[in-house]
Amino acid sequence: MATLQLKNIKKIYEGGVEAVHSFNLDIADKEFIVLVGPSGCGKSTTLRMIAGLEEISEGELYIGDKLVNEVEPKDRDIAMVFQSYALYPYMTVYENMSFALKLRHLPKDEIDQRVRWAAEVLDITKYLDRKPKALSGGQRQRVAIGRAIVREPKVFLMDEPLSNLDAKLRNQMRAEIIKLRKKVNTTFIYVTHDQTEAMTLGDRIVIMKDGWIMQIGTPQEVFDHPANIFVAGFIGMPQMNFFDGELAKNGEKYQLTVNGCPVEIGESLQQALKEKDVPSKKVIVGCRPEHIELSSADNALKATVDVSEMMGSEIHLHLNCEGKDIVIRVPSTKLSAEHRGGFEFGTDLKFAFPADLIHLFDPETENNLI
Amino acid sequence: MRTRKNKGAYYVVSLIILIILALLFLFPLYWIVTGAFKTGAEINSVTPVWWPTEWVTNNFEKLFSKRSAPLFEIGSLTGPVVPGAIRWLVNTVFMAVVAMVLTCITASMAGYALAKKRFTGRHILFTLIVCAMALPKQVILIPLIREMSTLGLYDKIWAVIFPTVGWPFGVFLMKQFSEGVPGEILEAARIDGASEARTFSSIVVPIIKPGIGALAIFTFINSWNDYFMQLIMLSSSSKLTISLGIATMQAENSTDFGIIMAGAALAALPIIIVFLIFQKYFTQGITMGAVKG
Repeated sequence: MATLQLKNIKKIYEGGVEAVHSFNLDIADKEFIVLVGPSGCGKSTTLRMIAGLEEISEGELYIGDKLVNEVEPKDRDIAMVFQSYALYPYMTVYENMSFALKLRHLPKDEIDQRVRWAAEVLDITKYLDRKPKALSGGQRQRVAIGRAIVREPKVFLMDEPLSNLDAKLRNQMRAEIIKLRKKVNTTFIYVTHDQTEAMTLGDRIVIMKDGWIMQIGTPQEVFDHPANIFVAGFIGMPQMNFFDGELAKNGEKYQLTVNGCPVEIGESLQQALKEKDVPSKKVIVGCRPEHIELSSADNALKATVDVSEMMGSEIHLHLNCEGKDIVIRVPSTKLSAEHRGGFEFGTDLKFAFPADLIHLFDPETENNLI
Repeated sequence: MRTRKNKGAYYVVSLIILIILALLFLFPLYWIVTGAFKTGAEINSVTPVWWPTEWVTNNFEKLFSKRSAPLFEIGSLTGPVVPGAIRWLVNTVFMAVVAMVLTCITASMAGYALAKKRFTGRHILFTLIVCAMALPKQVILIPLIREMSTLGLYDKIWAVIFPTVGWPFGVFLMKQFSEGVPGEILEAARIDGASEARTFSSIVVPIIKPGIGALAIFTFINSWNDYFMQLIMLSSSSKLTISLGIATMQAENSTDFGIIMAGAALAALPIIIVFLIFQKYFTQGITMGAVKG
């Protein structure tokens, strides 16, 4: 059983800089947790505290039922894959993978068996006699993963393992990690700054900013219901568009206007606002680029085309809406033959928000109103 | 922009300059080696004799007939009696090899600790070491002699070995090399369960091997050539090193340059062998500062 409990974990560096503030998280056995956020958000520091490479300044860390704050990394029954691979350069792939097992004084047969099993799982059997410098980036990363899985750890920690790979290899390795997870069936904690990796790999995602947890949820939850403007902007590519709006409570109904144009609020959103008893106020309206639709309705919002990017199956339109830059994604199939290749610079367009796919944020707290 | 023709000319001129410099540096060695095989008349001839007319070995015969001493003395155990020059050579090789090995071990450990371990006073310690590099040997000579006397090591080969072992330059060099060891590799070893000693021996040492090689040759040459320290610390005839021994012969036989040439050729031989073996590391050690900053 490898549950993890992080209770009020803090990291305070010399000089009083607090890199991680009161981090609370319960991780279930065999769960795949992804810590995601921009550079300097404290995700790697948190992972390193779990690994035992950084001291925990305050709080408690439990692996299983055991408090491990003061336990050495080697005794935490964890394995870690680093961004730079961190392979031992003067050892062969076999020696790299067997190093930890030798230190545990396992019988030679067992070491050999485990290394060959891991090599087979990762398809690196033919490289076992090579030194790391004779391998490509992708192969090195497989070796680094192999070195971790031979130990059969309770918890698997990965610190941006795909960041050094090119885009194609990264996609391939991402799929490999998903397959690997099914094979090794253990708890994973994965750190990345790439939201695509976070969305595709994680059972749950922890989004961090400036050492604070912004939201914890499944990929679907954080995408559909971002807790605040930061999460809404961070998850999703291209990022969510934000508009200044005015929310007015008119009896039992709420009415929303953006740039003076009325925007319809869906029934479920109306209900939620009512339940929370949100008063009339200024709001920030968020809508994802793929949810905004081109419209010809009279009360639709007006914009002009700045840039039109042809992406193959869709077009990304960068529009200027009363001085504000917004992006919308339009599937090519929804466009007339004339515009399937894109729009001219300066073309006037109109767009509308789908009633149920808008998000309302408080301009002061930046939190989701619902 | 340099044209291809200009590049060719530049290459030729550099080559000529390098050949001239190489010949200039080779000349003393050539003069000593050929001199060792010349007759006394040829050595003392007013017009230089560039090549021995007849290769004679009597200089070496005389060198090896001079004096006698046991090959080694360890406590009450003594080796067979050999010519003094052989004993001096054994003393020198022992001194240089032991100093080299001990310096490499201590400097690499200290350098690694200063580069990769976080402990209070690390920066002050390193500053002190760098300052120590600037101290001329003459300044520490008197305290060093007193220290060695107190330890009962005066006129013992250890009196010239121990002061070399704490060589600040060695620690500095190894610190610079250890800076290049990626922190994540050390962390990976820590997670793998390697002890400090195992991490150092199995992970760090192979990575900083070029540095250790460079340090080995620096220490060997430094120790071999440290005439001044040897002169101060050693006095008994059987404890002398080869350069001291040759110097004493010079005093006694001021006119017999043949023996001196033979002795000098003998003294240069191990250094040349060591240099040829570690040449790669030696150049790496010298150029290291240029690429690692």
